[in-house]
Amino acid sequence: MTKQKILKVKNGDINSAVNDFLKELLKSGKLSALLVPQAVPSKKVVFPVLVSDPNKLDANVFAPLLPVSTAKMISKITKFQPSDKPIGVVIHPCQIRALHELVKLNQASLNNIIIIGMDCMGTFSVKTYTDLAEKKNPLDIILDDLKSNTDKSEQYLRSACVVCNQPVPVNADIIIGVFGMDTSKEILVEAVSESGSKIIDDLKLESAKDVKKREKHIKDLIDSRTKKLEAFIKDRKKHGGIDGLTSFFDKCVNCHNCMKVCPICYCRECLFDSSVFDAEAYKYVKKSESKGLFKMPTDSILFHLGRMNHMILSCVKCGLCEQGCPMDIDLMDVFIPTAENAQKEFKYYPGKDPKEKVPMVVYREDEYVDVGEK
Amino acid sequence: MSEEKKSETKEFEPKIVGFLCNWCSYAGADLAGTSRIQYPPNVRIIRVMCSGSVDSMYILRALLEGADGVFVGGCHPGDCHYIDGNYKARRRMVLLENILDTLGIEKERVWIRWISASEGQKFADTMRDMTDAIKKLGPNPIAKKWNI
Repeated sequence: MTKQKILKVKNGDINSAVNDFLKELLKSGKLSALLVPQAVPSKKVVFPVLVSDPNKLDANVFAPLLPVSTAKMISKITKFQPSDKPIGVVIHPCQIRALHELVKLNQASLNNIIIIGMDCMGTFSVKTYTDLAEKKNPLDIILDDLKSNTDKSEQYLRSACVVCNQPVPVNADIIIGVFGMDTSKEILVEAVSESGSKIIDDLKLESAKDVKKREKHIKDLIDSRTKKLEAFIKDRKKHGGIDGLTSFFDKCVNCHNCMKVCPICYCRECLFDSSVFDAEAYKYVKKSESKGLFKMPTDSILFHLGRMNHMILSCVKCGLCEQGCPMDIDLMDVFIPTAENAQKEFKYYPGKDPKEKVPMVVYREDEYVDVGEK
Repeated sequence: MSEEKKSETKEFEPKIVGFLCNWCSYAGADLAGTSRIQYPPNVRIIRVMCSGSVDSMYILRALLEGADGVFVGGCHPGDCHYIDGNYKARRRMVLLENILDTLGIEKERVWIRWISASEGQKFADTMRDMTDAIKKLGPNPIAKKWNI
């Protein structure tokens, strides 16, 4: 079923090659709209933009920036009512995983959604991106790395991207590939599902000849990233118990932004934004008297541990929580090791199998039989 | 002996928060009482409709507010009044313990046990075992933390 085609790149401009391809999809009517990363008028940042007029399409698909969760945007579009017209969504691999988790949690619908995943060369934090953009195009920095097979851009990458060992789209309909391709001449378009091949079938595209180089590039990349991930987890093996945890979260101001930007956290009203933890003045005084003193605002550790318990099995390690933290808390230091361990325990890997249910809604009678028995 | 010294030499009495399911463990605790079986008074019982309704948040909040131990009691697997609540509680407990383990927080303070309505003796024994175990662990260090 897999069909591999080629997009010709002229003058080393991969953006216009991709744009020509996407415009063709809109013009032919195969897609009514496209959700693509596109620069806002100030050119400072790239945001998901829902384009329906092919003449206004100016996507920057490979821009190393993920300002908001694209999966959450697709949830916004499809949660209220599934789309009746075909919409193409061009998204990062981590966001494809998040999207499949949201579908399992009944927060998004894939009806008439064509997932166009792109090879992800990593993303910069919004601040790094805007700072760099004043001097040169951040896209060129990562493309130079790709061409020369170096990792000079690693210093700019978000920590989640440095240790990401899933940079290639899985469970997409169409993949736009750059890994192992000579991007000055051509990039890959691969249809991996039936609806994906229906879309690219009629386009007059050349077939890809040799993708061995690409396969090797991907394997090497995943191997080296997996090593980095293992080292990252090993470095942070123990967080020094409650002392380590409280000092880690000392800067937290309880803004709950990590929850708001998280693709997985979907509750309409989070328990922690409700009045459940509000209390009368005398209770605060009583609590103070029992310890002699306590820090305000209260319950920040409870918030982080509680949130963790609710979403960690679906955590796709996109690192948006860390990017969204106004106090620069390195949340990935805690979330990556916890997610790895918890997902290993349940042998559940978010986004891997769209048909598999999330672990907390299913059970087997013959599992964990020693829990609750002495 | 001054008042202060007296309290220092007093043995540590752990505070345990117990979430007992309405249909089995709570009735088991009731049976222990009506049968006049003695057990340590360290547990503060909160009746819940099902062990499957005990969100990890309840347990975490008790721990972070300074409880020395948290006990969850449910029906034996297969006996849940709501068919599968305790199976879900079991998974949730595995997840909670896994997370606490990764973060280096004492998961030994959290217990889950299956106690039926007819097991008054088992409830009393379990409470005795848990109180002893928590006494060995000592007071919950989180109780003294004021910056959580």
